[in-house]
Amino acid sequence: MPRATIRNHIRRLRFEADEMTQQALADRVGCTRQTIIVLEQGRYVPSLALALRIARTFGRTVEQVFELVEEP
Amino acid sequence: MSVILWTIIAVALVAGAIAVAAYQTRSIVPPLDLPPGETLPATPVQRLVRWALLVGLILMTAAGVVIAAVGPIQYFDDDTVRLAVTALLIASLFVLAAPSLVAGIWAARGAGVLDERDRAILARAPAGQAGAILVVLAVWMIALQETYRGEAGIPHVYLYLVFWSCLLVSLVASNVGILLGYRRS
Repeated sequence: MPRATIRNHIRRLRFEADEMTQQALADRVGCTRQTIIVLEQGRYVPSLALALRIARTFGRTVEQVFELVEEP
Repeated sequence: MSVILWTIIAVALVAGAIAVAAYQTRSIVPPLDLPPGETLPATPVQRLVRWALLVGLILMTAAGVVIAAVGPIQYFDDDTVRLAVTALLIASLFVLAAPSLVAGIWAARGAGVLDERDRAILARAPAGQAGAILVVLAVWMIALQETYRGEAGIPHVYLYLVFWSCLLVSLVASNVGILLGYRRS
């Protein structure tokens, strides 16, 4: 099976959403600001529930926020 | 070699293991890209664990210093010193167990203090406890064998010290596991 990583566009979407702060996003989705920081930097892969909450906050689908990148 | 020296070797071994684990974590996880002058904000659990480790290690060290100063066998015969050491050990037990207990209360209340990453890190944290206890037991076994080789028995006070050292080191390992967990993800 090819190795896969999950990238996300949270940082870009925050700026598109009136430059929402990391703390504001954390408060809206129910996590700590540290979790948002490590999520944006690709160091943490969220649960499906958190991914759905983040996508819903931006009014997007999960696929528009998170992206599966398969490496050869 | 004296038991005190073996204890120092044990502490050095555990500190070395923590340093290796921290170094491996640093090499696995890419460095965080934060704006200049900004540091990663600590979570409530991280702050709690840092304070618990600081205070707990001070209390443990104080108990160790008293035992080393009076003598491992002599201190047990002196009621005042024994009670003082026991009080220090019980205090360090409560302090070191506090993060897990408080996090459990936060999780039960669902107050929003803990998020899913905190819960995952807390769930993985005890993974190093068994290894830490084995190291402590191995050091005690070697130390007592070397110290009391050729004698009829080992003073019973060491049962007390072996128990407390295993208990406290397991809690230290759990707290260190939490801090390493935050570095890993």
